[in-house]
Amino acid sequence: MLNSLAYTLVITGAPWTSQAPQTALMFATAALSAGHRIDRVFLYGDGVHLASSLSTPPSDETHWPQQWSLFLKQHGIPATACIASALRRGLVNETEQARYELPAENLRAPFEIAGLGEWVEGNQAADRTLYFHGGG
Amino acid sequence: MKSNSTLHILNKAPEHPRHKTCTQALTPSDTLVLIENGVLSVAGNHLDAPCKLYVLKADTDARGLEAASEDITTINYDELVQLTTKHAKIISW
Amino acid sequence: MTTLIVIDQAPYGSWSGREALDMAFSLAAFDHPAAMLFTGPGVNWLRKGQQPDGVGQKSAEKNLSAAPLFGIEALIADEHACQQYGLSESAMLPGIELASNIQNVLSSHTHVVFAG
Repeated sequence: MLNSLAYTLVITGAPWTSQAPQTALMFATAALSAGHRIDRVFLYGDGVHLASSLSTPPSDETHWPQQWSLFLKQHGIPATACIASALRRGLVNETEQARYELPAENLRAPFEIAGLGEWVEGNQAADRTLYFHGGG
Repeated sequence: MKSNSTLHILNKAPEHPRHKTCTQALTPSDTLVLIENGVLSVAGNHLDAPCKLYVLKADTDARGLEAASEDITTINYDELVQLTTKHAKIISW
Repeated sequence: MTTLIVIDQAPYGSWSGREALDMAFSLAAFDHPAAMLFTGPGVNWLRKGQQPDGVGQKSAEKNLSAAPLFGIEALIADEHACQQYGLSESAMLPGIELASNIQNVLSSHTHVVFAG
């Protein structure tokens, strides 16, 4: 019998400087098709670049932020970019744009911005927490 | 596969310092999966794993590597998911 | 159920150590037991007398010395890495446990996490 598990995925590697978002997406797709749940995706460190709405790869390359967005929306999976990692790297939503009086917001839907508490909670609630780091 | 063994997922090339830390941490009851640049370990014998060893096919294929041997099992993403269900403890290096 | 946060990169040259420290502090803040392991170049976090004014960064030493106050259970240093970086116990922040067998440290923690 299938033992269905709940996963939290943490992505710390950025698109285009690492393979982490790709591997994570392939893993996530395989996990869902095996009947498991993905409770949360958390972006940390350089991983927050995946949530940029301004990434514009050449049209003949896979658009990983867009692919991830579609996947998250399609399956109703909540995804969070760590607020400290995101603000340092210039990833902001409307709230943070207003708070710091910045000229633009650039957070791709459905990603949200929140603190590491989300990661701690996700860890606690999930059967498995898997990390996708930058390579090298 | 014992549930108390650790699943190690290694995505670093052989020269990366964490590659060495990972391989030194392996025990015979553990399982090691090489993904991304980690699969380069199978080119030129960079690895002497004391435990069960898997490589992710998409990553060996992408790099033109032929990984199949007696000691190395080639797996796809579905099988990687299965491995994560069988190990309560997972370390991503 | 202690989570071991591993730092294997030196301070100042990259931010991943700081982001690892934030993870450990967050766990502790939410009453989840956390410990830290310093290995490889990461042991350089533990050196006394860091003066980072000239590089315009906050002191890693000062950040780290707050760990016990935040409730981090243990700061563990890889003894071999300390030797490699000429870091004697007298040159080290107080309260660091030395570990000669990293395999044991990793296997005695339920969760082992790198920040990146």
